[in-house]
Amino acid sequence: MSDRALRIAAATVALAGVAVAGYLTLVHFEDEALVCVAGGGCETVQESEYAEIAGIPVALLGLGAYLVMLGLLVWDTAHARLAASVVALVGLLFSLYLLALQLFVIEAVCVWCLANDVVIAPLLAVLTVLRLRS
Amino acid sequence: MPSYEQGRVLRRATAVPKAPRRTDRHTSRRMAAKTPRQQDRPSGRKVVLAFGIAIVAAAALVVVALVGRSDSSPPATETPVVDLAGIPQDGRVLGSAEAAVTLVEWADVQCPACRTYTEKFFPTLVTEYVRPGTVDTEFRGFPFLGEDSVKAYRFLLAAAEQDKLWDLQEALYRNQGAENEGWVTDELIRDLAAGIDGLDVDQLFVDAEREDIVAEAAGARTVGEEAGILGTPTLQIGIGDEEPYEIRIATVDELRAALDDALDG
Repeated sequence: MSDRALRIAAATVALAGVAVAGYLTLVHFEDEALVCVAGGGCETVQESEYAEIAGIPVALLGLGAYLVMLGLLVWDTAHARLAASVVALVGLLFSLYLLALQLFVIEAVCVWCLANDVVIAPLLAVLTVLRLRS
Repeated sequence: MPSYEQGRVLRRATAVPKAPRRTDRHTSRRMAAKTPRQQDRPSGRKVVLAFGIAIVAAAALVVVALVGRSDSSPPATETPVVDLAGIPQDGRVLGSAEAAVTLVEWADVQCPACRTYTEKFFPTLVTEYVRPGTVDTEFRGFPFLGEDSVKAYRFLLAAAEQDKLWDLQEALYRNQGAENEGWVTDELIRDLAAGIDGLDVDQLFVDAEREDIVAEAAGARTVGEEAGILGTPTLQIGIGDEEPYEIRIATVDELRAALDDALDG
Protein backbone atom coordinates (compact mmCIF):
# COMPACT_ATOMS: atom_id res chain seq x y z
CA MET A 1 0.00 0.00 0.00
CA SER A 2 1.36 3.41 -0.94
CA ASP A 3 2.20 6.11 1.58
CA ARG A 4 -0.55 8.31 0.13
CA ALA A 5 -3.18 5.57 0.42
CA LEU A 6 -2.20 4.98 4.05
CA ARG A 7 -2.50 8.68 4.82
CA ILE A 8 -5.94 8.80 3.15
CA ALA A 9 -7.02 5.72 5.15
CA ALA A 10 -5.78 7.29 8.40
CA ALA A 11 -7.51 10.59 7.62
CA THR A 12 -10.79 8.78 6.80
CA VAL A 13 -10.69 6.82 10.07
CA ALA A 14 -9.78 9.98 12.00
CA LEU A 15 -12.76 11.79 10.40
CA ALA A 16 -15.01 8.92 11.52
CA GLY A 17 -13.56 9.44 15.01
CA VAL A 18 -14.39 13.16 14.82
CA ALA A 19 -17.99 12.25 13.88
CA VAL A 20 -18.40 9.74 16.75
CA ALA A 21 -16.76 11.94 19.39
CA GLY A 22 -18.65 14.97 18.05
CA TYR A 23 -21.98 13.15 18.43
CA LEU A 24 -21.11 12.01 21.97
CA THR A 25 -20.12 15.59 22.89
CA LEU A 26 -23.45 16.89 21.58
CA VAL A 27 -25.39 14.24 23.51
CA HIS A 28 -23.45 15.11 26.66
CA PHE A 29 -24.59 18.74 26.52
CA GLU A 30 -28.09 18.00 25.19
CA ASP A 31 -29.98 16.86 28.28
CA GLU A 32 -33.53 17.01 26.94
CA ALA A 33 -32.97 14.25 24.40
CA LEU A 34 -31.67 11.81 27.03
CA VAL A 35 -32.96 8.31 27.31
CA CYS A 36 -31.61 5.61 29.61
CA VAL A 37 -31.55 2.46 27.51
CA ALA A 38 -31.69 -1.00 29.05
CA GLY A 39 -28.77 -3.10 27.84
CA GLY A 40 -27.45 -0.17 25.78
CA GLY A 41 -27.23 2.57 28.37
CA CYS A 42 -25.42 5.06 26.13
CA GLU A 43 -26.82 8.01 27.94
CA THR A 44 -26.44 6.24 31.28
CA VAL A 45 -22.73 6.02 30.57
CA GLN A 46 -22.68 9.59 29.30
CA GLU A 47 -24.41 10.79 32.48
CA SER A 48 -22.23 8.79 34.86
CA GLU A 49 -19.66 10.33 37.16
CA TYR A 50 -16.97 8.99 34.82
CA ALA A 51 -18.21 11.02 31.86
CA GLU A 52 -16.13 14.03 32.86
CA ILE A 53 -12.53 14.57 33.96
CA ALA A 54 -12.07 17.71 36.04
CA GLY A 55 -15.24 19.10 34.52
CA ILE A 56 -14.22 18.35 30.93
CA PRO A 57 -16.44 15.81 29.11
CA VAL A 58 -14.48 12.72 28.05
CA ALA A 59 -16.22 12.95 24.67
CA LEU A 60 -14.81 16.46 24.16
CA LEU A 61 -11.29 15.20 24.99
CA GLY A 62 -11.76 12.50 22.34
CA LEU A 63 -12.93 15.06 19.79
CA GLY A 64 -9.85 17.17 20.50
CA ALA A 65 -7.54 14.16 20.12
CA TYR A 66 -9.02 13.21 16.72
CA LEU A 67 -8.68 16.80 15.48
CA VAL A 68 -5.04 16.90 16.62
CA MET A 69 -4.38 13.59 14.78
CA LEU A 70 -5.99 15.00 11.63
CA GLY A 71 -3.83 18.12 11.88
CA LEU A 72 -0.69 16.02 12.30
CA LEU A 73 -1.65 13.89 9.28
CA VAL A 74 -1.92 17.04 7.17
CA TRP A 75 1.40 18.33 8.49
CA ASP A 76 3.02 14.95 7.68
CA THR A 77 6.61 15.26 8.77
CA ALA A 78 8.35 12.33 10.45
CA HIS A 79 7.94 14.05 13.82
CA ALA A 80 4.25 14.69 13.09
CA ARG A 81 3.75 10.99 12.27
CA LEU A 82 5.41 10.01 15.53
CA ALA A 83 3.28 12.53 17.45
CA ALA A 84 0.08 11.22 15.79
CA SER A 85 0.99 7.64 16.78
CA VAL A 86 1.63 8.77 20.34
CA VAL A 87 -1.76 10.55 20.55
CA ALA A 88 -3.48 7.46 19.08
CA LEU A 89 -1.72 5.18 21.61
CA VAL A 90 -2.83 7.40 24.53
CA GLY A 91 -6.34 7.35 23.03
CA LEU A 92 -6.39 3.57 22.70
CA LEU A 93 -5.12 2.96 26.23
CA PHE A 94 -7.64 5.42 27.67
CA SER A 95 -10.42 3.83 25.59
CA LEU A 96 -9.51 0.44 27.11
CA TYR A 97 -9.92 1.97 30.58
CA LEU A 98 -13.33 3.42 29.55
CA LEU A 99 -14.38 0.04 28.15
CA ALA A 100 -13.44 -1.66 31.43
CA LEU A 101 -15.51 0.96 33.30
CA GLN A 102 -18.53 0.28 31.10
CA LEU A 103 -18.27 -3.49 31.49
CA PHE A 104 -17.36 -3.83 35.15
CA VAL A 105 -18.28 -0.61 37.00
CA ILE A 106 -21.18 1.17 35.29
CA GLU A 107 -22.44 -2.17 33.94
CA ALA A 108 -23.96 -0.49 30.91
CA VAL A 109 -22.37 -0.55 27.49
CA CYS A 110 -22.50 2.57 25.35
CA VAL A 111 -22.86 1.65 21.69
CA TRP A 112 -21.34 4.92 20.44
CA CYS A 113 -18.42 4.55 22.85
CA LEU A 114 -17.79 1.10 21.33
CA ALA A 115 -17.88 2.76 17.90
CA ASN A 116 -15.06 4.98 19.15
CA ASP A 117 -13.05 1.87 20.12
CA VAL A 118 -13.65 0.45 16.65
CA VAL A 119 -12.19 3.67 15.19
CA ILE A 120 -9.20 4.25 17.48
CA ALA A 121 -7.70 0.74 17.20
CA PRO A 122 -7.25 0.68 13.38
CA LEU A 123 -6.21 4.33 13.43
CA LEU A 124 -3.34 3.48 15.76
CA ALA A 125 -2.39 0.56 13.49
CA VAL A 126 -2.32 2.71 10.33
CA LEU A 127 -0.47 5.55 12.04
CA THR A 128 2.10 3.10 13.38
CA VAL A 129 2.71 1.69 9.88
CA LEU A 130 3.08 5.25 8.58
CA ARG A 131 5.46 6.06 11.39
CA LEU A 132 7.59 2.96 10.66
CA ARG A 133 7.79 3.94 6.99
CA SER A 134 9.00 7.49 7.64
CA MET B 1 20.08 31.70 -42.51
CA PRO B 2 22.47 31.19 -39.56
CA SER B 3 26.11 30.31 -40.20
CA TYR B 4 27.70 27.05 -38.89
CA GLU B 5 29.24 28.91 -35.96
CA GLN B 6 25.97 30.62 -35.17
CA GLY B 7 24.21 27.23 -35.34
CA ARG B 8 26.60 25.71 -32.78
CA VAL B 9 26.02 28.62 -30.47
CA LEU B 10 22.27 28.28 -30.86
CA ARG B 11 22.37 24.48 -30.23
CA ARG B 12 24.54 25.02 -27.21
CA ALA B 13 22.23 27.74 -26.01
CA THR B 14 19.20 25.42 -26.25
CA ALA B 15 20.81 22.10 -25.26
CA VAL B 16 22.98 23.13 -22.36
CA PRO B 17 20.27 24.28 -19.96
CA LYS B 18 18.23 21.08 -20.60
CA ALA B 19 20.71 18.72 -18.99
CA PRO B 20 20.67 20.29 -15.52
CA ARG B 21 16.83 20.51 -15.62
CA ARG B 22 16.60 16.73 -16.20
CA THR B 23 19.02 16.13 -13.35
CA ASP B 24 16.95 18.40 -11.05
CA ARG B 25 13.77 16.52 -11.90
CA HIS B 26 15.36 13.15 -11.12
CA THR B 27 16.77 14.49 -7.91
CA SER B 28 13.40 15.89 -6.81
CA ARG B 29 11.73 12.56 -7.67
CA ARG B 30 14.25 10.77 -5.50
CA MET B 31 13.60 13.28 -2.75
CA ALA B 32 9.83 12.77 -3.10
CA ALA B 33 10.22 9.04 -2.60
CA LYS B 34 11.69 9.74 0.80
CA THR B 35 8.66 11.65 2.21
CA PRO B 36 8.30 12.78 4.85
CA ARG B 37 11.66 14.50 4.83
CA GLN B 38 14.18 11.94 5.99
CA GLN B 39 16.46 14.52 7.54
CA ASP B 40 13.49 15.13 9.89
CA ARG B 41 13.38 11.49 11.03
CA PRO B 42 13.44 11.13 14.85
CA SER B 43 16.11 8.87 16.33
CA GLY B 44 15.22 5.45 17.73
CA ARG B 45 15.79 6.77 21.23
CA LYS B 46 13.28 9.57 20.64
CA VAL B 47 10.70 7.06 19.36
CA VAL B 48 11.05 4.83 22.42
CA LEU B 49 10.85 7.91 24.64
CA ALA B 50 7.70 9.16 22.83
CA PHE B 51 5.87 5.86 23.22
CA GLY B 52 6.99 5.69 26.87
CA ILE B 53 5.50 9.16 27.35
CA ALA B 54 2.29 7.95 25.67
CA ILE B 55 1.92 5.08 28.15
CA VAL B 56 2.68 7.36 31.12
CA ALA B 57 0.25 10.00 29.78
CA ALA B 58 -2.53 7.42 29.43
CA ALA B 59 -1.88 6.14 32.95
CA ALA B 60 -1.88 9.71 34.29
CA LEU B 61 -5.17 10.39 32.51
CA VAL B 62 -6.73 7.32 34.15
CA VAL B 63 -5.45 8.37 37.59
CA VAL B 64 -6.78 11.95 37.14
CA ALA B 65 -10.11 10.52 35.92
CA LEU B 66 -10.42 8.24 38.96
CA VAL B 67 -9.28 10.78 41.54
CA GLY B 68 -11.08 13.77 40.09
CA ARG B 69 -14.32 12.04 39.14
CA SER B 70 -17.23 14.24 40.00
CA ASP B 71 -20.71 13.38 41.13
CA SER B 72 -22.51 14.47 37.98
CA SER B 73 -25.98 14.39 39.49
CA PRO B 74 -27.42 17.86 39.87
CA PRO B 75 -27.97 19.20 43.38
CA ALA B 76 -31.22 18.54 45.19
CA THR B 77 -34.10 20.90 44.45
CA GLU B 78 -35.98 22.13 47.52
CA THR B 79 -39.28 23.17 45.99
CA PRO B 80 -41.65 20.64 44.38
CA VAL B 81 -41.64 20.93 40.58
CA VAL B 82 -45.44 21.16 40.56
CA ASP B 83 -48.24 21.30 43.13
CA LEU B 84 -50.13 18.00 43.30
CA ALA B 85 -52.46 19.03 46.14
CA GLY B 86 -56.09 18.44 45.37
CA ILE B 87 -55.48 16.18 42.36
CA PRO B 88 -57.05 12.72 42.89
CA GLN B 89 -54.65 9.75 43.14
CA ASP B 90 -55.60 6.10 43.00
CA GLY B 91 -52.67 3.77 43.48
CA ARG B 92 -50.33 4.42 40.56
CA VAL B 93 -52.69 6.78 38.77
CA LEU B 94 -52.70 10.55 39.13
CA GLY B 95 -55.78 12.35 37.81
CA SER B 96 -59.47 11.99 37.30
CA ALA B 97 -60.97 8.54 36.76
CA GLU B 98 -63.11 10.20 34.09
CA ALA B 99 -60.09 11.23 31.97
CA ALA B 100 -60.41 10.07 28.36
CA VAL B 101 -56.67 9.71 27.81
CA THR B 102 -53.98 8.10 29.98
CA LEU B 103 -50.29 8.90 29.74
CA VAL B 104 -48.33 5.87 30.95
CA GLU B 105 -44.79 6.60 32.18
CA TRP B 106 -42.31 3.74 32.51
CA ALA B 107 -39.51 5.03 34.71
CA ASP B 108 -36.60 4.30 36.99
CA VAL B 109 -36.10 6.72 39.89
CA GLN B 110 -32.33 6.55 39.35
CA CYS B 111 -32.53 7.50 35.69
CA PRO B 112 -31.34 11.07 35.04
CA ALA B 113 -33.53 11.31 31.94
CA CYS B 114 -36.57 10.51 34.09
CA ARG B 115 -35.56 13.35 36.41
CA THR B 116 -35.36 15.63 33.36
CA TYR B 117 -38.84 14.47 32.31
CA THR B 118 -40.22 15.13 35.80
CA GLU B 119 -38.64 18.58 36.05
CA LYS B 120 -39.29 19.84 32.52
CA PHE B 121 -42.31 17.99 31.13
CA PHE B 122 -44.36 16.72 34.08
CA PRO B 123 -45.36 20.22 35.36
CA THR B 124 -46.98 21.04 31.97
CA LEU B 125 -48.74 17.67 31.92
CA VAL B 126 -50.15 18.25 35.41
CA THR B 127 -51.08 21.92 35.02
CA GLU B 128 -52.60 21.80 31.53
CA TYR B 129 -54.06 18.29 31.33
CA VAL B 130 -54.22 16.37 34.61
CA ARG B 131 -55.57 19.08 36.91
CA PRO B 132 -58.32 20.07 34.43
CA GLY B 133 -59.25 16.36 34.29
CA THR B 134 -58.75 15.61 30.58
CA VAL B 135 -55.73 13.31 31.01
CA ASP B 136 -54.57 11.07 33.83
CA THR B 137 -51.08 9.60 34.18
CA GLU B 138 -50.03 6.15 35.36
CA PHE B 139 -46.61 5.24 36.82
CA ARG B 140 -45.07 1.89 35.89
CA GLY B 141 -41.73 1.09 37.39
CA PHE B 142 -38.90 -0.26 35.23
CA PRO B 143 -36.14 -0.44 37.86
CA PHE B 144 -33.29 -1.64 35.66
CA LEU B 145 -30.34 0.48 36.79
CA GLY B 146 -29.55 -1.27 40.07
CA GLU B 147 -30.37 -1.95 43.70
CA ASP B 148 -31.23 1.66 44.52
CA SER B 149 -33.81 1.55 41.72
CA VAL B 150 -35.52 -1.56 43.12
CA LYS B 151 -35.51 -0.21 46.68
CA ALA B 152 -36.98 3.13 45.56
CA TYR B 153 -39.67 1.29 43.62
CA ARG B 154 -40.60 -0.73 46.73
CA PHE B 155 -41.27 2.54 48.55
CA LEU B 156 -43.18 3.97 45.59
CA LEU B 157 -45.43 0.91 45.57
CA ALA B 158 -45.87 1.29 49.34
CA ALA B 159 -46.77 4.97 48.84
CA ALA B 160 -49.28 3.91 46.18
CA GLU B 161 -51.08 1.95 48.93
CA GLN B 162 -51.77 5.35 50.49
CA ASP B 163 -52.39 7.06 47.11
CA LYS B 164 -49.21 9.13 47.49
CA LEU B 165 -46.95 7.51 44.88
CA TRP B 166 -46.71 10.65 42.74
CA ASP B 167 -45.74 12.87 45.67
CA LEU B 168 -42.94 10.52 46.70
CA GLN B 169 -41.59 9.95 43.20
CA GLU B 170 -41.46 13.71 42.55
CA ALA B 171 -39.56 14.22 45.83
CA LEU B 172 -37.15 11.37 45.02
CA TYR B 173 -36.30 12.81 41.59
CA ARG B 174 -35.53 16.18 43.16
CA ASN B 175 -33.07 14.45 45.49
CA GLN B 176 -31.64 11.97 42.98
CA GLY B 177 -28.08 10.90 43.84
CA ALA B 178 -25.23 9.29 41.92
CA GLU B 179 -26.22 6.02 40.29
CA ASN B 180 -25.99 2.94 42.52
CA GLU B 181 -24.07 4.75 45.27
CA GLY B 182 -26.63 3.77 47.89
CA TRP B 183 -28.35 7.18 47.91
CA VAL B 184 -31.83 5.67 48.46
CA THR B 185 -31.40 5.41 52.23
CA ASP B 186 -34.13 4.83 54.81
CA GLU B 187 -33.19 8.20 56.26
CA LEU B 188 -33.72 10.02 52.95
CA ILE B 189 -37.07 8.34 52.40
CA ARG B 190 -38.17 9.08 55.96
CA ASP B 191 -37.23 12.77 55.48
CA LEU B 192 -39.02 13.08 52.15
CA ALA B 193 -42.08 11.12 53.29
CA ALA B 194 -42.39 13.30 56.41
CA GLY B 195 -42.81 16.31 54.12
CA ILE B 196 -45.77 14.76 52.25
CA ASP B 197 -49.16 15.70 53.68
CA GLY B 198 -51.33 12.73 54.55
CA LEU B 199 -48.61 10.09 54.19
CA ASP B 200 -48.21 7.76 57.18
CA VAL B 201 -44.43 7.27 57.28
CA ASP B 202 -44.40 4.27 59.62
CA GLN B 203 -47.03 2.50 57.51
CA LEU B 204 -44.96 3.30 54.41
CA PHE B 205 -41.98 1.46 55.88
CA VAL B 206 -44.15 -1.50 56.92
CA ASP B 207 -45.69 -1.76 53.43
CA ALA B 208 -42.30 -1.46 51.73
CA GLU B 209 -41.31 -4.77 53.39
CA ARG B 210 -44.54 -6.54 52.43
CA GLU B 211 -43.88 -9.78 50.57
CA ASP B 212 -46.09 -8.94 47.59
CA ILE B 213 -44.55 -5.47 47.20
CA VAL B 214 -40.98 -6.80 47.51
CA ALA B 215 -41.76 -9.44 44.87
CA GLU B 216 -43.42 -6.94 42.55
CA ALA B 217 -40.48 -4.51 42.72
CA ALA B 218 -37.98 -7.32 42.15
CA GLY B 219 -39.90 -8.63 39.13
CA ALA B 220 -40.79 -5.25 37.61
CA ARG B 221 -37.82 -5.18 35.26
CA THR B 222 -38.85 -8.52 33.74
CA VAL B 223 -42.45 -7.33 33.41
CA GLY B 224 -41.23 -4.21 31.56
CA GLU B 225 -38.97 -6.23 29.28
CA GLU B 226 -41.85 -8.56 28.45
CA ALA B 227 -43.92 -5.48 27.58
CA GLY B 228 -41.16 -4.44 25.16
CA ILE B 229 -39.76 -1.62 27.27
CA LEU B 230 -36.17 -0.85 26.24
CA GLY B 231 -35.35 2.18 28.35
CA THR B 232 -36.65 5.01 30.50
CA PRO B 233 -38.58 7.18 30.41
CA THR B 234 -40.87 5.39 27.96
CA LEU B 235 -44.14 7.23 27.45
CA GLN B 236 -47.27 5.60 26.11
CA ILE B 237 -50.69 7.02 25.41
CA GLY B 238 -53.79 4.95 26.15
CA ILE B 239 -57.20 5.96 24.83
CA GLY B 240 -60.06 4.16 26.52
CA ASP B 241 -59.55 0.41 26.40
CA GLU B 242 -57.27 0.54 23.37
CA GLU B 243 -53.71 -0.83 23.56
CA PRO B 244 -51.39 2.08 24.57
CA TYR B 245 -49.02 3.32 21.88
CA GLU B 246 -45.56 4.76 22.45
CA ILE B 247 -44.76 8.43 21.87
CA ARG B 248 -41.33 10.00 21.49
CA ILE B 249 -40.98 13.60 22.49
CA ALA B 250 -38.04 15.97 22.74
CA THR B 251 -39.84 19.19 23.70
CA VAL B 252 -42.80 20.24 25.85
CA ASP B 253 -44.61 21.35 22.68
CA GLU B 254 -44.27 17.83 21.27
CA LEU B 255 -45.82 16.46 24.48
CA ARG B 256 -48.73 18.90 24.09
CA ALA B 257 -49.17 17.92 20.42
CA ALA B 258 -49.21 14.19 21.27
CA LEU B 259 -51.79 14.67 24.04
CA ASP B 260 -53.95 17.02 21.93
CA ASP B 261 -53.87 14.47 19.11
CA ALA B 262 -55.04 11.73 21.48
CA LEU B 263 -57.79 13.96 22.93
CA ASP B 264 -59.01 14.81 19.42
CA GLY B 265 -59.30 11.06 18.84
